[in-house]
Amino acid sequence: MKNNEIEPKKIMPETTQKEINDLKPTLQAASEQIIAQTIARLKKATPNRPKELEYFDDMANLFGTRIKELEQAKAEGKKIVGYNCIFAPLELILASGAIPVRINSGWYDTAKLGDRVVPVEVCSIIRSTIGAKMIELSSFLELSDVLITVLTCDGMTKLSEVLGGYKEVWRLSNPRVKDSGQALKFWNDEIKQIKINLEKLTGNKITVKNLKPAILKTQRATKAFRRLQDLRKDGVVISGQDAMLVTQTFMWDDIDRWTEKTNILCDELERRVQEKEWICPADTPRVMVTGTPMFWPDNWKLPSLVEEGNPRGILVADELCSSERIIYDPVGVDEWTMNDMLTAISERYLMACTCPCFTSQDGNEDRINWLLTKIKDHKVQGVIYYVTRGCMLYAMEYTTVKRALDKINIPVYYLDTDYTREDAGQLKTRVEAFLEMLTAQIDI
Amino acid sequence: MTETINVVGFDIGTQSTKVIILNGNGDVLARAQVFSGFDPAQALKDAVQQALKTANLPQTSITSFTATGSTLEESPYAATNVSMMSALTKAGTHFFSNAKTIIEVGAEEARAVKCDDRGVMVDFVVNERCAAGAGAFIEAMARALEVKMEDMGSLSLTAERASSINATCVIFGESDVVSLIHKQEPKSEIARAVYDAMADRVSAMVHRIGVNPEVVLVGGVAKDIGFITSLKRKLGVNVVIPEFSEYAGALGAALIGLTKNNKAVNKN
Repeated sequence: MKNNEIEPKKIMPETTQKEINDLKPTLQAASEQIIAQTIARLKKATPNRPKELEYFDDMANLFGTRIKELEQAKAEGKKIVGYNCIFAPLELILASGAIPVRINSGWYDTAKLGDRVVPVEVCSIIRSTIGAKMIELSSFLELSDVLITVLTCDGMTKLSEVLGGYKEVWRLSNPRVKDSGQALKFWNDEIKQIKINLEKLTGNKITVKNLKPAILKTQRATKAFRRLQDLRKDGVVISGQDAMLVTQTFMWDDIDRWTEKTNILCDELERRVQEKEWICPADTPRVMVTGTPMFWPDNWKLPSLVEEGNPRGILVADELCSSERIIYDPVGVDEWTMNDMLTAISERYLMACTCPCFTSQDGNEDRINWLLTKIKDHKVQGVIYYVTRGCMLYAMEYTTVKRALDKINIPVYYLDTDYTREDAGQLKTRVEAFLEMLTAQIDI
Repeated sequence: MTETINVVGFDIGTQSTKVIILNGNGDVLARAQVFSGFDPAQALKDAVQQALKTANLPQTSITSFTATGSTLEESPYAATNVSMMSALTKAGTHFFSNAKTIIEVGAEEARAVKCDDRGVMVDFVVNERCAAGAGAFIEAMARALEVKMEDMGSLSLTAERASSINATCVIFGESDVVSLIHKQEPKSEIARAVYDAMADRVSAMVHRIGVNPEVVLVGGVAKDIGFITSLKRKLGVNVVIPEFSEYAGALGAALIGLTKNNKAVNKN
């Protein structure tokens, strides 16, 4: 009857300390090696790669300096709030003095461990995150004082129960129809509850005085974020993989520093535009990827297949909640009163989101509009629709997206995969066929 | 001055490796097929040598090699790779200039390509990591029925109705067949069920890119009358099949090699 409060809730079978001791260092060493190899490959793929990416190469080390910084902050009494979905209101977390980090797992090997807890049909990201928790591989997850889970899909909903055996979990329930009369009111109440929870956790009251600078902070980040994306609309000065690396690091980096470094990178890219220093020939097929989020470090296979294949393509845009969608939309405040700021935060997280968990009479219209706009602005010639196993919402929305893109004659290819390295050969064949198809259409 | 041009196209399949030699006019000089086995590089060499022998040509007379199918880590020939989808598009429209939908069913894979009026591929689809829609399924089911694979097709045509099996997976399909055998259903009806189940899978796949006539069927399974009959019934349209359909990938690769070669010559 020891540890009475937490013990009965545990869904996961006990992982023995011995197994954790054996597996964690092995998988960490393997992961560090993969991270180093992937960075080396990125450098090789673009010989005239922008120099300012070096900062992000370091930040991409999931076992590196950022972990030490977080440990230090925690030792100084700061709270860390883990989240696994971009609905988590960063501004409130920042205003309370806590540090936000995203905890989704991109490790293939831990997905196999997750199979002990949930069936293999379950979404790879969920299985991998469970596996990472089993052997305590993710320091971001381990260091988190609480977790914010948004009940967007079935996987996330039930993941919150699994992780709830180990950490305090705050569940944010999002409405699925944005334009119903109750939706925003309901969501606003959810956001307000998070505010109360954060105040209790940190002991800091969230006031106009600390919320305004927090909003200004994310607005600056959004500006840098959009600046980087604007630089991908014409001549190519940064590969899609490199741009994705920059956006991924936002999930765990210090936001001010990330903004500063991204702006420095954009300065360099703007110089390159001036000097017409492109990284690939002008006739390289311009590809966009949409679908299930892809997480660093292992689930990087699609971008590398596109950009290192034969023929080669270039990713000029994406519609992923692990990349360009992270902080694309700013919190728009009219009056800096507490009430207005909270409403603005609620609106930004709910209304701007293009997640397929939303529906309406016209389907998930916002997503289709985002795709059409991006395709036009970034001169996209083909779209890869990427789905991992068990990701039902994205899989089902393919039909609608395909119909919309057929209307504007943009080829779209549905690519399904899993958290595994073994299917890289098959995927390569498909991606290369798609790129050949785009090339053949461009040639004519 | 015109130099003699001969091109080789090869297709390394999961079960067999196909080689084709064309002259500069696109006429077929030789074909060869060898079991891929555990040493696909050796199988490829054997097939190429066999084809050269048939064509009575030395290897030095070959202007270019173009490969499709699986990619070898270390290929014995310096070949340009093209995807199977591009090769099928080329071969399908070569055989039938109005081809809009080209379906290939091989031992372990099924694919379909959609072409526009210019013969350019505009969409394609591949079976999903399972051989239930491909030739290996017939092979496994023939084994379960203790029927020679060659006889499965004609056997299925004698059936008046089809039993029902589930073709989401070869292994589960086999256990379905075993239970039908235990129920003592006639072999012919089970054989037809096998083809119907396969054709269901392939037809569902093709419907994702649209069934636009003219529909061409190629690949090793395109020679199986049982499958052809079921597929026509499921698709509800006529399906045309070229001679030597199993060589479509190799032919497409060779034709692409030839086009590239001609383009290069024109440039000079």
